[in-house]
Amino acid sequence: MTDWHTVRLVALREMRERFRTREFRASTVIQALIVVAIVVVIGIISGDETDSYEVATVGAEAEAIAAAATEQQAALDIELDLVRSDSEAAARASIADDDLEAAIAADRLITGTNPPDTLVALLQAATRNVRGAERLREAGVPDSGIREALDPPPLVVSEVGDGGGGEGLAFLSSLLLFGALMGFGFYLATGVVQEKSSRVVELLLAAIRPAQLLAGKVLGIGALGLGQLLVIAVAGVGAALALGTVGLPDTTGSTLALVGVFFILGYLLYGCAFAVAGAIVSRAEDAQSTTGPLTLILVVGYVAAASLLGDPGSPVAVICTFIPATAPMVVPMRAAQDAIPAWEIAASAALVLIAAAAMIWLAARIYERAVLHMGAPLKLAQALRLAR
Amino acid sequence: MLELERLSKRYGATLALDELSFTVGEGQVFGFVGPNGAGKTTAMRIVIGVLAADAGEVRWRGGPLDADSRRRIGYMPEERGLYPKMPVGEQLAYHAELHGLERGEAARNAASWIERLGIADRAGDPVERLSLGNQQRAQLGAALAHDPELLILDEPFSGLDPVGVDVLSRVLLDQARERGAPVVFSSHQLDLVERLCDAVAIVNDGRLVASGRVEELRERRAGRRWHAEVSGAADGWAAGVDGARAVAGHVFELDPATDPQRLLDAARAAGSVIRFGPETPSLADLFRDVVGADGAAGGDGARGVVA
Repeated sequence: MTDWHTVRLVALREMRERFRTREFRASTVIQALIVVAIVVVIGIISGDETDSYEVATVGAEAEAIAAAATEQQAALDIELDLVRSDSEAAARASIADDDLEAAIAADRLITGTNPPDTLVALLQAATRNVRGAERLREAGVPDSGIREALDPPPLVVSEVGDGGGGEGLAFLSSLLLFGALMGFGFYLATGVVQEKSSRVVELLLAAIRPAQLLAGKVLGIGALGLGQLLVIAVAGVGAALALGTVGLPDTTGSTLALVGVFFILGYLLYGCAFAVAGAIVSRAEDAQSTTGPLTLILVVGYVAAASLLGDPGSPVAVICTFIPATAPMVVPMRAAQDAIPAWEIAASAALVLIAAAAMIWLAARIYERAVLHMGAPLKLAQALRLAR
Repeated sequence: MLELERLSKRYGATLALDELSFTVGEGQVFGFVGPNGAGKTTAMRIVIGVLAADAGEVRWRGGPLDADSRRRIGYMPEERGLYPKMPVGEQLAYHAELHGLERGEAARNAASWIERLGIADRAGDPVERLSLGNQQRAQLGAALAHDPELLILDEPFSGLDPVGVDVLSRVLLDQARERGAPVVFSSHQLDLVERLCDAVAIVNDGRLVASGRVEELRERRAGRRWHAEVSGAADGWAAGVDGARAVAGHVFELDPATDPQRLLDAARAAGSVIRFGPETPSLADLFRDVVGADGAAGGDGARGVVA
């Protein structure tokens, strides 16, 4: 039986058993709902506001112009509320009373002082269209020709850079990573302790090596974590697309990819540390105190990412990019706002990978010696001595 | 054949094993006895590989016991343990797979052991919902589901009711007799050990004090104790026999030089002899003999354990 086969057996059991628990499934659904809720809130806050104007028309031509304007209104985030007015005088009176925004009468556009530029532009453009069509029709151009002349293909709008929502994406990605690293780190720590406190570990180690058991647990829980992140990301992106009010930033795809990459790297780093925190105690209660320092480091990393949200290019953000403990939460946050050069991402990933490799090595050695230790929690110094 | 050769293990200032050696033959049921703290569990954990010896070697079928052959051992640890929330059937199959069985075979073996151990109706339940007795049966199933070539069981009988004891006894004898797998188990129930085992090892303070086939150990001391029941005799009728000492009730221990006929003569002189014959020592007697004094000196209360 190969090492890999054994590791796979352990990993599959971890996934099956975790997935079986109601807590895991509930937490996946709840996190997905939270992300959807945040997307909705961001949509409401940052979505473009639509201004609504009441416009009166006097006469048939004015009505045609107003109708043409309503066809174009969405592009300018304007909504026209059209009313017919009997006379120009009546319309003027209503505008003076602030009951109307504007009125179209014969050759005049009547407005209050300082009319909204977009409204004026919209109505002028509609007028050009309607009158242009009329001139062409008088010149004997057939309807199809008129349409061709007045409705040429428009310019395709291409936004450069932050398409809006970059901060929201940055906020969500660092929050997701923080939650996933913490949650799945805890799963690992408690899983290791449970094997010790239920004493099944001795039975397992009679069949397989400690390194195989550790690798299987880390990989199984990690795969589950990646799966959960995927579900949450799909829910979030799906919500944004469905709502339509949230423009997905151009950085969405690359940020989500980085969330995946930095989850894997950060999880290897933190997960192995959490596994050690579980291995050096014998009872679940004691795991609280040994995982405490790791939780604290994670919180510091998250707080750094969250507080640098508005300043993703600052020197502090750059420093946090190159600290393996904070990088997993800071790099996607900066990438979401397009505020990190590619080389920094690559260098940061390499650093986290190196730190993770060192942690895997250390964890395997400590775990192997601590996992059969029963009784009082081992001190960190004792555990490190075991690693020698 | 399983050979333990001069195993030593030290925990700080305590010498848990002191050059412990003994041999278990193919197809033997082998009892491993000794007072608490004698080193039985330590020795078994070294055999199974979860603990490393400071010195000495464990050999299996002539070669050193490596990871691959260790995987073919069935083990029941002193501290029972299964995954509490994992269903019994899946759990047994999982352990069998970890020991190298294919998935299908593992599942079949698990199912057949669950059936044999009488917990088939609980196969789908998480282990934690089973009674302690049934958890013990599941634990045994986990040790057996991969068709082990050798069984190492630490106190398998503790906590079992009489029915459970019978089931386990039958299973262990089957494994040894039918499959030829040596079964090594530790126990404080010496009557059980005596009934089941072909051979025993008695340890005390990490040292081997006696080992071999049970009959051989008995014969070593046979002839020294005699049972003499005399009707109508006054207490102390044997006081005149040189080299005879009353041990308990009608049992007398003779010095090797003393002829049992002299005890019989004294008995006939004292009254009418109802019964006279050699007293066969029980394993418990042997145990007290070899461990008793040491145990008392070491303050480990060997007698209390045996009682």
